[in-house]
Amino acid sequence: MDTLSRRRFLALSGGVGAAAATHVLSVNEIADAAISRPLTPGTPILLVVTLYGGNDGLSTVIPYTDSLYYSLRPDISYAPEKVLQLDTTLGLNPAMTGIKSLWDKKKVAIIRGVGYPDSDRSHFSSMAIWQSAERTQTTKSGWLGRWVETQPEDPLLAINLGSVLPPLLVGKKRSGSVLPLGGLVTPSGSLARDCSRLSLPSQGENFLASRAATSLRNLLNISDTISPILKLPVPAAPDLPTINGGNAGGDNNLSQQLDVVAKLVTAGAPTRVWAVSLGGFDTHANEANAQSDLIGIVSSSVTRFLAQLEPSGRSKDVTVLVYSEFGRRVAANASAGTDHGTSGPVFVIGDSVQGGFYGEQPSLKNLFKGDLAVTTDFRDIYASLLEGVLKAPAAQILNGWKGRITSLLRTQ
Amino acid sequence: MAISADQERLALSRLYSRFGFGPKPGEFETALKNGFQTTKKSFLIKPSTGDIASDIAPLVIDDMGPRPAAGTFAGVEYSVKIREQIRDMTLWWLDQMVTTDYSLNEKMTWFWHGHWATSIEKLNFALPMYKQNNTFRENALGNFSTLSKAMYNDGALQYWLDGQENTAKAPNENLSREFMELFTLGVGRYTEEDVKALARVFTGILVGRTSGDVSFSARRHDSSPVNLLGTTKSFTAQEAIDLLTAREDSFRFVYERLWYRFISSTEDFPAAKSRTAFFGRDVFLAVSDFVDSEYMYDPRYAMVKSPVEWVVGVCRSFGITPSKVKNPQVFSAGLTKLAQLPFAPPNVGGWPAGEAWLTSASAQFRLSLAQTLIKSADLKEFKSMKPAARSLYLQNLLGVYKWSKRTSDALTIARLDPERMVLLAINSPEYVVGA
Repeated sequence: MDTLSRRRFLALSGGVGAAAATHVLSVNEIADAAISRPLTPGTPILLVVTLYGGNDGLSTVIPYTDSLYYSLRPDISYAPEKVLQLDTTLGLNPAMTGIKSLWDKKKVAIIRGVGYPDSDRSHFSSMAIWQSAERTQTTKSGWLGRWVETQPEDPLLAINLGSVLPPLLVGKKRSGSVLPLGGLVTPSGSLARDCSRLSLPSQGENFLASRAATSLRNLLNISDTISPILKLPVPAAPDLPTINGGNAGGDNNLSQQLDVVAKLVTAGAPTRVWAVSLGGFDTHANEANAQSDLIGIVSSSVTRFLAQLEPSGRSKDVTVLVYSEFGRRVAANASAGTDHGTSGPVFVIGDSVQGGFYGEQPSLKNLFKGDLAVTTDFRDIYASLLEGVLKAPAAQILNGWKGRITSLLRTQ
Repeated sequence: MAISADQERLALSRLYSRFGFGPKPGEFETALKNGFQTTKKSFLIKPSTGDIASDIAPLVIDDMGPRPAAGTFAGVEYSVKIREQIRDMTLWWLDQMVTTDYSLNEKMTWFWHGHWATSIEKLNFALPMYKQNNTFRENALGNFSTLSKAMYNDGALQYWLDGQENTAKAPNENLSREFMELFTLGVGRYTEEDVKALARVFTGILVGRTSGDVSFSARRHDSSPVNLLGTTKSFTAQEAIDLLTAREDSFRFVYERLWYRFISSTEDFPAAKSRTAFFGRDVFLAVSDFVDSEYMYDPRYAMVKSPVEWVVGVCRSFGITPSKVKNPQVFSAGLTKLAQLPFAPPNVGGWPAGEAWLTSASAQFRLSLAQTLIKSADLKEFKSMKPAARSLYLQNLLGVYKWSKRTSDALTIARLDPERMVLLAINSPEYVVGA
């Protein structure tokens, strides 16, 4: 690798100055590896943001002119002048200024009333349905795990930020990878040789033991390529509300996760799917501040992430999907919170997105046992993203699913 | 069925690693000599209350009382003390797991922590979590209905699931839903109407934030009759829990959970083989039933060690007491990275199982924690033996069923370097994943 491209790599990864002398050699080796097969500019990238706990849709996309909204939620509603108005009936949560600015640039699609028939109100069952895209989890694989299996084997193809693999990226035979914040330390020297011995396949061993061996092998591959990029100071996490909610999964450092993803995308990591998450949306009590803080973090982190990618031109390539396992009950409970509900809005954000509303807004008048109707099936969105962003056979991955969101993405 | 020596070894390996936290030095060789049937009898022990068979002193955790005003020196001391209490409690429990001779009881204490998963992240105070932990230990192998009622009266669980917010005027469904879905029946074995009904029955609980003491307020309680799972009456919470735990669905659910954590997290519970011993709701009989089953010999049922099982297993084999190492904070730091810190499950569903622990990140964190732990390991005996005997010694010390050829080769190459050999053995696929 020539000096210029090495310097460029280090500059992009923030490694100049930060890298101690002893790290340079290893950074050089790794920079070589990353530069040897960068993702071709223009290759579409999908970023999936999972909101764990059940985000309250009615506090996210707010029907601010509907009198029923105010009468059903006296303590946790937002006044019309506070709402970030999108049209004459709907507006965003006041904390979502970042996404509002992207909306104004026509980069945000809001798909309304998203869910699936006969909603399951269990966090775990419903998240399993969303992540597997199967009503009954017959294959025990995730929708993007199945996508990974349609591609040539590459541990860098789909990466989750955090140390545990979410069901989303689990395939039947191959899965996505995970990347903890702070990065991995490359085993080197004799330890690396030992690890590679332990990672060899062994005849007749059980499936799980072979996965354990593969994880050691992937450690050697993955950490070779990207660990130096992550050996950078991690920005401090914003304070998050932890008292309410916070008991239904997800990581609590979304902005840190997205900072790492931004660096890696900029550096040209050959990764086409990224998964990040934020937890704490299970707001059974004292909801207003907690939900608003959390959805505000989602909004500002995603906006900042896209802005960070602009200089490299990669912001054009990224499409962001934001979803949660269910919405919440329409009427507030008396702890100024809401219980588990049904449908909610899904956001698809990016330069290639046709901004605007999709799907029908569920009526507050015709509730089903106190819950919102489901007007759009989430698999329609997945199918459109698989075909439109990943150029993948959606029907094969989604068990023959036929629905699509028409003209969600601009035709290139 | 006739049991070969090979099958016997498999069953013993599973007995120690799944129903306990792995063997202590010498235990596995003795077990091989005595055979599975004899070993099993001494393993399946239900201790009397308060008997923990370990040298670790009981922990004393003070009630923190009200928080001093913010910004004062006392306020800072208060926060520091909370942190110390949580740190001490975590090490205390790891010490218990490592040193106890009642392995099964402690393993079940750990099982129930994952089952009624409550996190210090929301509780913030150690004392309620410590009380809950002792409730698990005392009821670990007891009656499931008794345990469920004790958990209803557990301040940590109540606070965790907003029980104190659930009042006659304003029902909050958080506890009632999880009580049926995750604790006693399993998803899909009740209706949304049952969730609402149980929430009303559960109204009126008050929780002392720092003490975890639970009290009942008749004024906040809704005593009107409800229809719960087909029975209409004015239930007390205890009666409602009796109704839930007496259902066949509840027996089935507990069996499924035991299956998932002790036999296989990847293969489904064989529906045709529904068990009968649990009809007295006796957890000890249910667990014994699994230990006595043909599943113990079936090669399909490999299990991944969770990070805590892995760390505790290593400590037991190498005589490491977590609170006594030079830098005890490596345990919480390492387990946080491995995403399984005791008292802090990620959510009310508890920790994942199986492949979730086999990521490249976990592999790296295990390697790195192992390198630190080896510095505190007692390797005197290991170092004094002939290099040719070391591989088999480690296999028995760790209770591993069999080394694969790959691992055996790697151990042979490292045989002159005892520390390196231990590092490889405890990071090998055969130790991380029990056959």
